[in-house]
Amino acid sequence: MSDSTAGSDVPPPAVPEERGDFAGLVPAPIAGPFRKSWAWFDDRTGITGLLYKGLYEAVPKRGGWAYTLGSATLVVIIVQFFTGIFLLLDYVPSVTQAYGSLLYLRTDDLFGDWIRGIHLWGAYTLMLLIGVHALRTFISASYKKPRELNWISGVMLFFLVLAMAITGAMLPWDQASYWTAVVVTNIPHYLPVIGNGVRALWRGGDFVGPLTLTRTFALHIWVLPALLLGLIGGHLYLLRRHGEFGSWVNYRTTTDDPEKEIAERIRHAEPPYPTRGSEPRYSVPSETVDFFPDQLFKDTVVSLVLVIFIFVMALISGAPLDGPANAATLTYVPTPEWFYLPLDQLLVFFPTELIGFGVFVVVGIGATLMLALPFIDRNPERHPIRRPDVLVPAFFFIGTVIYLAMLGVNRLYNL
Amino acid sequence: MSMGRVSRRQFLVRGTGAMAGLITAMLSVPAVGLLLSPLWAANKEIWVTVQGGPIDDIPEGLPTARIAAVPLGFGPPAPAVNRVVYVTKYQGQLYAFCNICSHMQCDVHWEPSLSLFECPCHGGLYAITGRNVGGPPPQPLSQWVHRVYVDAQGKHYLQIANRLQEQI
Ligand code: HEM
Ligand code: FES
Repeated sequence: MSDSTAGSDVPPPAVPEERGDFAGLVPAPIAGPFRKSWAWFDDRTGITGLLYKGLYEAVPKRGGWAYTLGSATLVVIIVQFFTGIFLLLDYVPSVTQAYGSLLYLRTDDLFGDWIRGIHLWGAYTLMLLIGVHALRTFISASYKKPRELNWISGVMLFFLVLAMAITGAMLPWDQASYWTAVVVTNIPHYLPVIGNGVRALWRGGDFVGPLTLTRTFALHIWVLPALLLGLIGGHLYLLRRHGEFGSWVNYRTTTDDPEKEIAERIRHAEPPYPTRGSEPRYSVPSETVDFFPDQLFKDTVVSLVLVIFIFVMALISGAPLDGPANAATLTYVPTPEWFYLPLDQLLVFFPTELIGFGVFVVVGIGATLMLALPFIDRNPERHPIRRPDVLVPAFFFIGTVIYLAMLGVNRLYNL
Repeated sequence: MSMGRVSRRQFLVRGTGAMAGLITAMLSVPAVGLLLSPLWAANKEIWVTVQGGPIDDIPEGLPTARIAAVPLGFGPPAPAVNRVVYVTKYQGQLYAFCNICSHMQCDVHWEPSLSLFECPCHGGLYAITGRNVGGPPPQPLSQWVHRVYVDAQGKHYLQIANRLQEQI
C-alpha cells in the first residue's frame, strides 16, 4: 500500500482500490454483464465496504495451515446445521414414530439416509476437529493475555458440542438411542439434594418416556444451537478484536536489537495489530498476509478435504439404526460413542458412595482446570519447549483421558 | 439513591427497566412453570397383570424373567411399555424385581453361572434377594409395587403397579 496520504489531512479512501475491486476477481467473461448491476447494488448497500471490512484483515504469515482448524470447525458446524434442518423434514420427535421415520429413510429415501449419514459423520469429525483446534491453540499459548476469553468461550463451545452430541444420540429412539437416553438422563440424579428433581425435569417423570424425547429434542434443535451460535459469534468477535495470535514462529526477532525491531513492527502494524493489551513482544507478527485470499485459500483446502471425508463416509458407512427401542431387554449393553468412553470408564472406577464424587467432582475439576487455564498458566513464554510446567501436566491429563477410553474399549468389546 | 426529585432522564431509564422487567416476568412465569411441571405432575397409579400366565410353576431359587406391559402414569398419552419383572421365589419370599440397575439404569439379568444378577454395563452384581454385592451399584435392585391375585382355580397371578417400591 502506498503511504502518500500518511500524515496529511486527507483521509485515505475507505476501500483501497486494488482490494476493493471484488468484481475484478471474477473472470471477465462472467463478471462483464454484471459490472453495472454490481455497481448499482454497491451504491445502494455499500457491500464493497462491508466485504472489505469482513475479508481484509492481517493474519500471521507463518504457520497458516495450523490456523485453518478454527474455520474448519466452523464449516463442519454449518454442515451440521444444514443437514439437521433437512433431517427435520422427515424426522418425527415422538416415541411411537421417531424410529419409524428414520427406518423410512433407510428403506425408501436414499437421499434422506445419506443426509443422516452426513449428520453423523459430521458430528464425529466435529468432535475430533474441535479437539485438535483446542490442542493447537493450547500448544501455541494463544490463550494468554488478552485472549483469555477466546479460550474460555472456546471451552464453553466444546462443552456445548459435547451436549449436542449426546442429545442428538437420543433422538433416533432405536435400542442404542433409548438406552443412551436412560443412562445419560440418569446421571443428574446423583447430584445432591436436587438430583431426583433434575432427572425428573429432563425425563418428564421418573421413567424415560414421551416427554424425555420431546424435551431432549427441544434441547438439541433449539436451545443448544441458539447458545452455540451466540457463543461462536462471541468467539469470532474476540478473534477479530485481538487479531489472530498464531504461534511463536511469528514473533522471533532476527536483529541484535530486539527492542528496536519490535518497536519498528508496532509502528508499521496493520490493523488489528498491534493487539490491544498484549505484551509488546507478542503484539505484532513479524510478517502478515491478508486473510483474503491467502488464509482463506488454505482454510478452504482443509474444509474441502474434511467435507469430502464426511461425504464419502456417509455414503459407504452411513448412520446405523438398531432395532426399535425395547425397555424389556435382559442383556443389551449400550456402548457410548467413542468420545464419551473416558467418562463411561470413570463410572466403573467410582462405585457406590463415590459415584457422585466421580461424576461431578472429578469431572468438574477437569472442566474447571480447562476453563481456568489462562489464569493458571502464568508463564510468559509462548514457545512450547519453554513451557514444560503446563505442557507436561496437560499431556499427562490428555494421556489419562486416552487411557480411560482404551480401558473402556477393552471392557465393552472384550478385546 | 435520593428519594427527592427524579430527573426526566432517570425517570425514562427506570421506567424502561421496570417495563422490561414486567415483560420478562410475564413470559417467565408460564415458561418456568412448563419446564418444572414434571415436579408436581401426579403419577397416575395403574395396575397390570404380569404376562406369561400363573406364577405357580416358577421354581424356587431361580429368578424368572416375565414381561409386563406397563403404562406410564405421566406425560402425554403413549402406549404401555414392555418391562421386565424378575419373579423370584426364595426362602418363602416372593420378589418382583425390576431389572433396572441402581447404578446407571442398564438392564440387569440373572446369571445362572454366578447365581447372581449381573449388569452388563459396568459389572454391577446383585444377590438373589436383590442386595447389591459387587461393582458400582449403590442400592439394591428395586421391586415393582406388586400384589398376588388368586383366581377361581387357585392359580396365582402377579400384578404390578407402574411404580417402584424404592426410587432408584
Ligand atoms: C464451535 C467451535 C469453535 C469454532 C467454530 C471456533 C472457531 C475459531 C476460529 C475460526 C478461529 C480463528 C482461526 C484459528 O486460529 O484456528 C479460532 C481461534 C481460537 N480458538 Fe476457536 N473455535 C471453536 C472452539 C474452540 C475451542 C474448543 C477452543 C479451546 C478450548 C478454542 C480456542 C481458540 C483460541 C484460543 C483461538 C485464538 C487463536 C489465536 O489467536 O492464535 N476454540 N476459533
Ligand atoms: S448401570 Fe449397572 S453397573 Fe453401571
